[in-house]
Amino acid sequence: MDVNVVLLAVVIITALCFDFTNGFHDTANAMATSIATEALRPKIAVGLAALLNFAGAFLSLKVAATIATGIVETGAITLTVVFAGLIGGLAWNLATWYFGIPSSSSHALIGGVVGATLIAAGPSAVKAGQLVSHVLIPAVLAPLTAILVATAGTFLVYTITRKVPENVRGRGFRLGQIGSASLVSLAHGTNDAQKTMGVITLALITGGVIGKDAGVPFWVIVTSATAISLGTYMGGWRVIRTMGKGLTEIETPQGFAAEGSSAAVIFSSSHFGFPLSTTHVCAGSVIGSGLGKRLAEVRWGVAARMGVAWLITLPAAALAGALAWFGTDSIGGDLGVLTVFGVAAVLSGGLYLISRRTPVNAGNVNDEWKTPIRERA
Amino acid sequence: MSDWLDLTAFGQVVLGSLAAGVGLALCFSLALAGFASPRPVAKAAGVLCLLVVAAGAVLSLYVMLRK
Repeated sequence: MDVNVVLLAVVIITALCFDFTNGFHDTANAMATSIATEALRPKIAVGLAALLNFAGAFLSLKVAATIATGIVETGAITLTVVFAGLIGGLAWNLATWYFGIPSSSSHALIGGVVGATLIAAGPSAVKAGQLVSHVLIPAVLAPLTAILVATAGTFLVYTITRKVPENVRGRGFRLGQIGSASLVSLAHGTNDAQKTMGVITLALITGGVIGKDAGVPFWVIVTSATAISLGTYMGGWRVIRTMGKGLTEIETPQGFAAEGSSAAVIFSSSHFGFPLSTTHVCAGSVIGSGLGKRLAEVRWGVAARMGVAWLITLPAAALAGALAWFGTDSIGGDLGVLTVFGVAAVLSGGLYLISRRTPVNAGNVNDEWKTPIRERA
Repeated sequence: MSDWLDLTAFGQVVLGSLAAGVGLALCFSLALAGFASPRPVAKAAGVLCLLVVAAGAVLSLYVMLRK
């Protein structure tokens, strides 16, 4: 058995790092509105999300999302391509986190793998049609569907409860919001932790450590669940702030409608086999909750910035993935892998230090947004 | 377009999401309105609506677990 232990170990560590960033990047999906409406205290919210993500990782063990399935030729996927793809996804996750932009971790990972494959095996190894049908079209349809559902839901909750005393309404929707946000968190754990489990299992199979038909080893499940829940607990406060305060001013009924709509769309898409990005759905729901309330408005500038980020997720992550593959291949061997990993670690550390200049944390995540919202007459 | 987009699945997602999302908003709001009302019948209706919401949550969990 010829196993490149160094490469395998680096791939596993990188996959767990990606899982960690996936967790803190996506905390906002489930908990941003609960934090914005003060249904839950920020630390309690991220703690609950972390716990549910951890539990969710154990609920379903079907490795549904081995990386970029159907999008690149299976034969083109080597350990180096997986490593470079993970670096591409990681880079995009960290960049969008710094700017506080919610973006899909799955699309970032797919972009990274596509970029690495393009440069490693050529354009023929990438299935462009599948990329359009599985990534680009759903990226447009997910927020539109969520906007539609959340707008209708928000309009209904305000219309039906207009005569309910404010304190009863606030308390009731707060409880409902916690329930629906918990469902979204659990769904996130089942979907996204599996992605890393898939990557690590694939790496172990490719490296010949386990057989092709072997299931996901228990330690892989535990480490993936731990990484995503630790990341979730760290709380990507920058993204939480954009989602909870930046897109629109959210009141408790809107928060309930947004989370309920997200849960409805995520579960429907999962049931009917048309997977949609949790991030795109949740962001769409928040926009819909702004549109569905009379006298409310959406900060379209923030929404447009987010839309642009979604459009360039694939090419940007692909570029980072391609660069990572090129660096690894140019230097060659274990040294190449370790060098690229080291450079990525240093750059990540640097970005973290820069982010400390304008810290966003549990204490200021709910501060007033700089741009005041314009209300409809 | 249909080569790139499974229209049937997408249509089902939109309709399913609308039914579930609007249904949740409707039932939960009616439950709150029922509880806030002084009339016992309205309160009973509120309990019923809340049960529908709970059933929906259980169904969602079932959908998630059977994936």
